Amino acid sequence: MGALAIKNVTKSFGDTHILKGINIDIEAGEFLILVGPSGCGKSTLMNIIAGLESPTSGEVCIADRIVNEVAPKDRDIAMVFQSYALYPTMNVRQNIAFGMETRGVPKAEQNEVIARVAKMLQIDHLLDRKPSALSGGQRQRVAMGRALARNPKLFLFDEPLSNLDAKLRVEMRVEIKQLHQRLKTTIVYVTHDQIEAMTLGDKIAVMKDGVIQQFGSPEDIYERPANLFVAGFIGSPSMNFLPCHLVEQNGQVGVTLQGVEAPKFIALQDRAGLKERVGQKVILGVRPEQWDVENTPDALVCKVKITEPTGPDTMIYSEVNGVEMIARVHPRAASGPGTTLPLVLDVKKAVLFDPETELRIA
Amino acid sequence: MAETRFWRAALYAALVFAALYYLLPLYVMLTTSVKSIEEIRAGNLLSLPAGITFDAWSKAWSTACTGVSCNGLSGYFWNSVQMVIPAVAISTMLGAINGYVLSKWRFRGSEVVFALILFGVFMPFQVLLLPMAQTLGLFGLANTTAGLVFVHVVCGTASTTLFFRNYYVGIPDELIKAARLDGAGFWRIFWRIILPMSTPIIMVTLIWQFTQIWNDFLFGVVFASGDAQPITVGLNNLANTSTSVKEYNVDMAAALIAALPTIVVYVLAGKYFVRGLTAGAVKG
Ligand SMILES: Nc1ncnc2c1ncn2[C@@H]1O[C@H](COP(=O)(O)OP(=O)(O)OP(=O)(O)O)[C@@H](O)[C@H]1O
Ligand SMILES: [Mg+2]
Repeated sequence: MGALAIKNVTKSFGDTHILKGINIDIEAGEFLILVGPSGCGKSTLMNIIAGLESPTSGEVCIADRIVNEVAPKDRDIAMVFQSYALYPTMNVRQNIAFGMETRGVPKAEQNEVIARVAKMLQIDHLLDRKPSALSGGQRQRVAMGRALARNPKLFLFDEPLSNLDAKLRVEMRVEIKQLHQRLKTTIVYVTHDQIEAMTLGDKIAVMKDGVIQQFGSPEDIYERPANLFVAGFIGSPSMNFLPCHLVEQNGQVGVTLQGVEAPKFIALQDRAGLKERVGQKVILGVRPEQWDVENTPDALVCKVKITEPTGPDTMIYSEVNGVEMIARVHPRAASGPGTTLPLVLDVKKAVLFDPETELRIA
Repeated sequence: MAETRFWRAALYAALVFAALYYLLPLYVMLTTSVKSIEEIRAGNLLSLPAGITFDAWSKAWSTACTGVSCNGLSGYFWNSVQMVIPAVAISTMLGAINGYVLSKWRFRGSEVVFALILFGVFMPFQVLLLPMAQTLGLFGLANTTAGLVFVHVVCGTASTTLFFRNYYVGIPDELIKAARLDGAGFWRIFWRIILPMSTPIIMVTLIWQFTQIWNDFLFGVVFASGDAQPITVGLNNLANTSTSVKEYNVDMAAALIAALPTIVVYVLAGKYFVRGLTAGAVKG
């Protein structure tokens, strides 16, 4: 059953077009991530799903029902806002109860729900406090509690963790994941943190300038990015983009890479549609972890410019084909600045982009 | 060290001087109002009273002549009370609702409406006199307290709208969105969410409106006559009624009676005034 379907939704404020034809379709129980740079229209799309703003054109369906004309309160959704939006003059209990009170839920049932939610989120001891007397993490929990009290078909989370410090963020991320596994409610979750996107999502929609650049599973997005933007946006450090020419050598199509020695030919096996492009410029996309230090004749010898030890891995900054290139290698294999390292590429995982259209070609 | 102490002393000296300078008229009024007329004529302006007598106060309140009638200020005082309470309450309420709409329920053209309302804040009220006189006549409100209330509500709503609108702009929109998802509508959000957050700005508005309306002379003298005149007009009449001897103590007592309510309001609600003017700078 389709939990949420967004069909050709556009949104314009006067002459500025914020959303330009959004299409998304997810199943019940799925965790959808909307990710993209600031100002790309994520919150606007959330508000449209919630019914707080109406789309300029297009349809929003929740649980297979077109809800364009349905009021926010009747859409059976709950939302957690970036600023938490707790009612400052009410205590935690009243904050959680407000929605139920408005819907006319009997008092006894309200108390039951509050008790259940407070227990689930471990905020029992905070029920009589005002939001101003809570820490950031506690406010975040209360905001979640308010959403949970509703027991909705669809949760909307608009950057719920972005106001928390790094450690709390990781904790809450895990809790949200557990919560989703327990409740199995459909969730739409906005973030511009690509780690949150990768770790939480069943499906990820990468947005830019009001257009969905790619919609797919985290694995799809990471391994087979649709274009240069998605490839560069997801992953940290970013994918390396090495400008190359497609050449043919000994009947094999490939590219040449140059470190500090003579250019090296790298064959790209079995990829459709490359033969026709021989002679053209392409961009080879290689993630930092797709390099290995290996002393073989095939290795590309690179000069180490900077090293960045992160603990489990060390980032090696060097130069390939005239652009900066980062390799993530084992700390023991790394060597200091000024030395050279033989690097071997995991060719199967490398991707190719057309520099004109910026789309992935293979 | 010695130098900073010197400057600190100089600073306090300047502050004390300024405070005394502004308090001196109040001191003169207070002491004069409790002196007997003989002492005033004999003594000097700044001396402390030899004996305290409240005769001047009771005369100013109940028997001093204001024009032809000699019933003191009491009638005028109650007129002002009857005028100021509904006028302040209604204009504050309207300002709150207007400000709520103009900040949280914007509609096409709401910025234009706000600009027009702002215009009302800066308009000199003299231009209103003639059209307002006609309007009051048309409604049958001429020369009544209800008429004065109407005038003050119309003229005060511009400022109160400005106050509330600017305060509410600082309240995050997400709060409204959350309440809408919780199923609350326009009025429920206003009563349950917005109004409880408004205490500081309500206090500011109350003080401002109370002072404006209580102290107004122009509308009082133009739009009210006889029974409905407010205290400012009464005070003016009292001071201008010629008696054989000028009774300074009665005049001073009358002026203090006229000024007392605004002072009381400021003392009761004043701490919110400064707080309200700076609120919104920090999110809570
Ligand atoms: N009411 C409005 N009128 C005009 N423009 C608006 C309005 N609301 C949002 N915008 C614009 O729409 C664009 C998208 O805003 P939106 O809040 O959806 O971005 P976002 O992707 O959520 O960004 P962030 O990650 O910073 O939260 C922004 O450029 C913003 O200025
Ligand atoms: Mg946003």
